[in-house]
Amino acid sequence: MTRPPNENLPTVKLVVVGDGGVGKSAITIQFFQKLFVTDYDPTIEDSYLQHVEVDGQWCILDVLDTAGQEEFSAMREQYMRKGDGFLLVYSVTDKNSYENIVNFHTQILRVKDRDTYPMLLVANKVDLVHLRKVTEEQGRELAHKLGIPYIETSAKDPPLNIDATFHEVVRIIRNQPQTDHEKRKKKKLEKLRRCVLM
Amino acid sequence: MDQHEQHKKTLISALHVWLDSYPEDFREPPNHPALRHLLSFCEDYLPATELDAKVRHRLERYTREAHIDPLLISPSTFALRNVAVGWKTYKLPEIPVRIFAEQLTRMDVDLFKKLVPHQCLGAVWSRRDKSRSHEAATVLATVNQFNAVSFRVISSILVEHSPRANDRAQILSCWIDIAQELRLIKNFSSLKAIISGLQSNPIYRLQKTWQVVPKEKIEVFDELARIFSEDNNQWTQRELLMREGTAKFADTVGENDKQLQKIFQRQNNHTANISFGTIPYLGTFLTDLTMIDTAIPDTIGDGLINFDKRRKEFEVLAQIKLLQGAANAYHFAVDPAFDRWFDSLLVLDDREAYQLSCQIEPAVQNKNNNKKNHQRHQKNDSIASTSSSNSSQFYCEVDSMPSSPHNSIDRKLSPSQMSNSSSSSSLPSLDISMNSSHSGSANNRLQVPFMHTGTLSPNSSQKSSPDFYIIKVTYETDSVETDGIVLYKSIMLSNNERTPQVIRNAMYKLGLEGNPDKYTLAQVLPDKEMVLPPNANVYYAVNTAYNLNFILRKKKSDETDTTSKKGKPKS
Repeated sequence: MTRPPNENLPTVKLVVVGDGGVGKSAITIQFFQKLFVTDYDPTIEDSYLQHVEVDGQWCILDVLDTAGQEEFSAMREQYMRKGDGFLLVYSVTDKNSYENIVNFHTQILRVKDRDTYPMLLVANKVDLVHLRKVTEEQGRELAHKLGIPYIETSAKDPPLNIDATFHEVVRIIRNQPQTDHEKRKKKKLEKLRRCVLM
Repeated sequence: MDQHEQHKKTLISALHVWLDSYPEDFREPPNHPALRHLLSFCEDYLPATELDAKVRHRLERYTREAHIDPLLISPSTFALRNVAVGWKTYKLPEIPVRIFAEQLTRMDVDLFKKLVPHQCLGAVWSRRDKSRSHEAATVLATVNQFNAVSFRVISSILVEHSPRANDRAQILSCWIDIAQELRLIKNFSSLKAIISGLQSNPIYRLQKTWQVVPKEKIEVFDELARIFSEDNNQWTQRELLMREGTAKFADTVGENDKQLQKIFQRQNNHTANISFGTIPYLGTFLTDLTMIDTAIPDTIGDGLINFDKRRKEFEVLAQIKLLQGAANAYHFAVDPAFDRWFDSLLVLDDREAYQLSCQIEPAVQNKNNNKKNHQRHQKNDSIASTSSSNSSQFYCEVDSMPSSPHNSIDRKLSPSQMSNSSSSSSLPSLDISMNSSHSGSANNRLQVPFMHTGTLSPNSSQKSSPDFYIIKVTYETDSVETDGIVLYKSIMLSNNERTPQVIRNAMYKLGLEGNPDKYTLAQVLPDKEMVLPPNANVYYAVNTAYNLNFILRKKKSDETDTTSKKGKPKS
């Protein structure tokens, strides 16, 4: 890994969604864990900011995880609007959380007023093998139906695919097909490209 | 021996503090196991001491109180009748915004004072078993109130009778005014609930409505919304809470908050000697506690309690406790008319709200740019003209809107289109989906004909019925309900739905399981109830001369028996 360049890096906003109890917070915490091995404080400004290098390009990941606020259903759309990309997380031990994914998916597309949007389906808690209720096949089937990629994760030590998950969403955002009306997005991508050149 | 006495003393005073400061830890109805445990401990080691007496006294009191938790009682069945009889209450937008802000705060203060801080802990709230939600009942009650406010913001704007963007904008502005007052009162919970409602997709996407909201109001809204920006881990909101949490009144503004600066100045001139508490938005605390719980293990080494974690959690809980203390500064008396108004507003789920929103302003199919395209208008217009009535929405907008740069495209509509669309009028949100084959004259409250002065053709007063009604259903039950906050569930009733289907929909909305045949549905009329026949077409059966309030009721057990023997009810 090279050091992050000092230039102004593009910020990529990722939003983690999913039912309560699917382990969203564990995924987020695991990803940021390296930063606060010693003293974790959830209230400081840069708790959920991190420089990452994905495919040789640096950017700042700004992760919004509202774990614990799932039931404030009225404010969900408000923070969905802010996301450049989404992690749709369910637990393989909780069938309901799997079935609810489609609702989050619909809601995001509605808020974004788009037919597709950068999202990744995340099947969490795969370490709990004998409690598993949703198979990999079912997961892939849903991903296929929604037209988004699929990944299996575990936030338990040793973690599985946690960094890969966040990096993958960044890739999806970078590779999203562009249409004329996505000027704002395009600008962001241009910024991303510019930082390769540096 | 001395050391032993010293430990005993410490333990006794710790137990005293615990009993006094955290009585809820010992309540645990119905058997109060912790308290009984403590009592037997006192009997063995500390007989006839002050602590022993305190524990005994506490246990007697708890046993005496037939435990009734006001949070768990639903006032729903009574409220419906009240509304049906004494309907005349407040009506948006002609309401006293300050009183509304105070009343919302009064509701929040009630819940906030009852909040048991440790129920917010990650280990309790976010790890709780959903089927035993009473474990975090006080948190849940706060969440429910927040949603109740947001949903009312959304529905009140969507269900506005008038097709004019101006009228809808007035209601929207009214909520911004209430939000502004909430900021002055330092009620961040309802403030965020209103902001969330206004930023929810069904409202946020109503460009035509937002365009006619006065510019200053939009600025106030933006400034208020900035308080809850997610940027830098909710920094703005955290900072604000630190500065004003226990201050007397609101006075913190950002550099760019021009409107709020003016508003605070005005406030300070008028109400310098009134002081308020602070109601925080609870969600941020809940996330922080969830994150602490996830990030830091409960135990270290050989199963020792990780006190570092407990200390971190306590810091958050202590902040909540502090604000709870400050909340005692609020004193707002109950305004029954407000409560009636609040209960009477219908609540839509996100799908229904989106549907209604799309009927007010259709979703754009070809999203080819971020400007508004007039193709959408033409398309919309043609739909309207094939149905039995036309929408005057476009006419009104073009004609009566203050000029704004965004409007230039609307203004390019050809005159012929304008005159066509303004020839007659009714509620566009409903008539777009209207079926021209039935133009019955149902007098639905959702469907108030819109009178435009002068410019409309005579048939503008003609009534036509929409494709569906929104009805409010409440569930009548003798048992105590867990969710008393949302009094009604609203459901959409389309023109071919029969009684069993409507009952099924209502049951689904109310979270009831079981056989729909075991329930009856009745419309509440001023002087009686009209029970719907088992297989009626409900759409035509309802009495639209009155409010569409319904009661869902479980059949008496003998009725159920006969029904189940017969199988399906006869049609």
